[in-house]
Amino acid sequence: MTSVQSSRVQTAGLRGNERTPATARRFLLRHPGVVRLGVVVLLLLVWEIAARVVVDPMFISPPSRVFTSLGTMLGTDGVPNALRLTFFELAVAFAIAVTIGLALGLAIGLPPFARRSFMPIVLLVYGMPQITILPLFILAFGIGPASKIAFGVTHGVFPVVVTVVAGVQNLKPILLTSARSMGASRWQILRWVIFPHMIPSFFAGMRLGMGGVLLGVLLAELYVSTAGIGHFTTMFTETFQPNKLFGLIAMLAAMAIVLNEIVRRAENRFSRWR
Amino acid sequence: MSAGDVAIHVRNVGHQFGEAGEARSVRALADTSLDIVRGELLCLIGPSGCGKSTLLNVIGGLLTPSNGTVQVGGKPVRGPMPNDIAYIFQENALFPWNTVDENVRLGMLFQGVPKIEHAARAKKSLEAVGLAEFADHYPGQLSGGMRQRAALARALSLQTGILLMDEPFGALDEQTRMILGEDLSVLLASTEKTIVFVTHSLGEAVFLADRVAVFSARPGTIKKIIKVDEPHPRKPAFVTSEKFTELRNELYALLHDEIRKAVSSEAPRGRNGGAV
Amino acid sequence: MARRRDSAQQLASRAVQIAFLLGLFVLWYCATNFWGVNHLLLPNPVAVFHQLVDVLQGGEYLPDLRVTATEFVVAFVLATTTGTVVGFFVSLSRYSVRVFEPLFAGIYSIPIILFLPLYVLFFGLGPASKIGLGTTIAFFPIVLSTIAGFGNVDRTLVTAARSMGASNYQLFRYVLVAAALPVILTGLRMGFTVALLSILGSETIASLAGLGHHIVQLAEAMEMSRMFAYIVFVVAIATLLNVTVSYFEARGRRLG
Repeated sequence: MTSVQSSRVQTAGLRGNERTPATARRFLLRHPGVVRLGVVVLLLLVWEIAARVVVDPMFISPPSRVFTSLGTMLGTDGVPNALRLTFFELAVAFAIAVTIGLALGLAIGLPPFARRSFMPIVLLVYGMPQITILPLFILAFGIGPASKIAFGVTHGVFPVVVTVVAGVQNLKPILLTSARSMGASRWQILRWVIFPHMIPSFFAGMRLGMGGVLLGVLLAELYVSTAGIGHFTTMFTETFQPNKLFGLIAMLAAMAIVLNEIVRRAENRFSRWR
Repeated sequence: MSAGDVAIHVRNVGHQFGEAGEARSVRALADTSLDIVRGELLCLIGPSGCGKSTLLNVIGGLLTPSNGTVQVGGKPVRGPMPNDIAYIFQENALFPWNTVDENVRLGMLFQGVPKIEHAARAKKSLEAVGLAEFADHYPGQLSGGMRQRAALARALSLQTGILLMDEPFGALDEQTRMILGEDLSVLLASTEKTIVFVTHSLGEAVFLADRVAVFSARPGTIKKIIKVDEPHPRKPAFVTSEKFTELRNELYALLHDEIRKAVSSEAPRGRNGGAV
Repeated sequence: MARRRDSAQQLASRAVQIAFLLGLFVLWYCATNFWGVNHLLLPNPVAVFHQLVDVLQGGEYLPDLRVTATEFVVAFVLATTTGTVVGFFVSLSRYSVRVFEPLFAGIYSIPIILFLPLYVLFFGLGPASKIGLGTTIAFFPIVLSTIAGFGNVDRTLVTAARSMGASNYQLFRYVLVAAALPVILTGLRMGFTVALLSILGSETIASLAGLGHHIVQLAEAMEMSRMFAYIVFVVAIATLLNVTVSYFEARGRRLG
């Protein structure tokens, strides 16, 4: 008893001196997110220094300057409208892609014969590099928002179809047998068994579909654009204004992150029973 | 328990999976006949592959037999009869996206029970199985034993005259099986349902059943029917009684050779997709 | 009978598929030859075929193919090297996995093609910008799968090997690599696909050479049948590459 007490007394002083680094280390260990943030900050610092000291300011802008010129960038005539237009294109393309994807997915996924016949075709087209026909889309739909939306839809519809078909397929047969044994009609099985089962897959498909829509719309925008963000990325590139270019791209990245997060949260909410 | 009345009439039912003469075909059930009395609990027991589950599926209308007929309440069975027969499976057949309460109500919706009765019936059957406080839980949040209780509640709420149970406790551990078996006995003592119960467990068969039908190895048929003359609800003390041990021994003697036969003739798994 | 039924169903499905594809082709033909669809939008399939033959015979595609292929190979090799090395070192400690994996996953979740203008600004319109972007985009699936592969090696395997006296190198070569390989191969396959798409994409948007660029040139010159011929050509190459990669991935999985 005495020895424990005395040792406690003895170490108290030592621990007092060592407390700060020990607890700091423990804190960091328990919070990798903080370290991650630190890594990001470190990278920003490296970027900052490299941009100021090493590289020609014509090509790379330090993050500080990007940040401060955000205001002017957004004030540039047409930029806020371009951002709004892009958001509009994304939203419309997403809505269309999800609707068509769900309808097609159910049409192909539910009847086994349709699935066996058409799924290989769907997968074949899904695997093709759609970027090669981008000029074709522009020729067909013009250089306005329609072509961007169309290209976004063709990129976003496939993940939705594939996940809906998968979701309908992997239903445990015992659940169908059980419903049948209780006297469920075909419509009741569709509504109460197949449909709820498919919902989490559908939301996963929506998450992937959002990624596809983002890719399609942005590709089309960067290719040719008169009033969209593509126009301004070209302009900022050709006039060697890296700070504004970085800023614009950062805004778009933020938009992409927000949209992805919204769909991800929706997916989590509707997959709670899984 | 009313005597004499035949609830289920099985005549020469046999079944073959796959076409005759094909390499993949298997005769799962040899011609079997059986009369199940109203209000009794009949156990089907036998080695793997003997056809007991096949017979249960035929009685329940989930499988059309290759030959033979089944009559339930005088009517021939041609498909599921949700108003007369409720089914409990070994595999968890609760809908994972619905709560326990929703699962019970959904069963009633499928059967066609008027909506106003749903709440009252659900409450009653959940209380009967002891799950009243878990009504709003999802199956994923429950233990295996609780899930089977929920399945039982769903079946009870359908208020059918007949209950078919295909190894309902098969996936559970010994202790849970014991508890559930005792609770089931108490619960069923108060109803007049006719129950057909498939099991692998000798002790379970003797504890629960009024009669035990012992199957031979595949292709199986009923070898012998043993009576268990003990009033319901059965007490835990019954398990340690001499009568219990005698009956269990009798079952063991009947089954042992059949089980050996079944194991030695078992084809490599996966080739025959038929149910046992 | 059951077996016969299965193969009959398979045959029926195949028949429907072929009928569907043939039907599309017939539609294409009729649309351009009989129904007066604008040739500036949809060229005659026969004309496309002739242009394709012409392109292949004349070898006109060769310089562009060389450019695209070089960009692709360099980007993929760079991405694989950096991705696997970084992924391996991150996977060594559970803590560094928890720090870096979400970071990589987060960046990968935004369409990195967005950064193309930055690469063009810095590297110009030449191959360097395509390689830069391609490497960046392909890096992420590779590094993430490497982290997953090495990070999820069954600890019992490591313990067993160590108890038999394996050195660090032997442990790496015979246990870690073998256990992680299937997952890493999946990531490499994704990186492969994604690198190809990004190279073609950046060539389409901002380039002076390459197959993607050539297609754009033809579109601007309104040479529709020739453009379609090139599209068929590029799609065929991409499909061939995908099939080859799938084959090797399947083989790798079986051996691993």
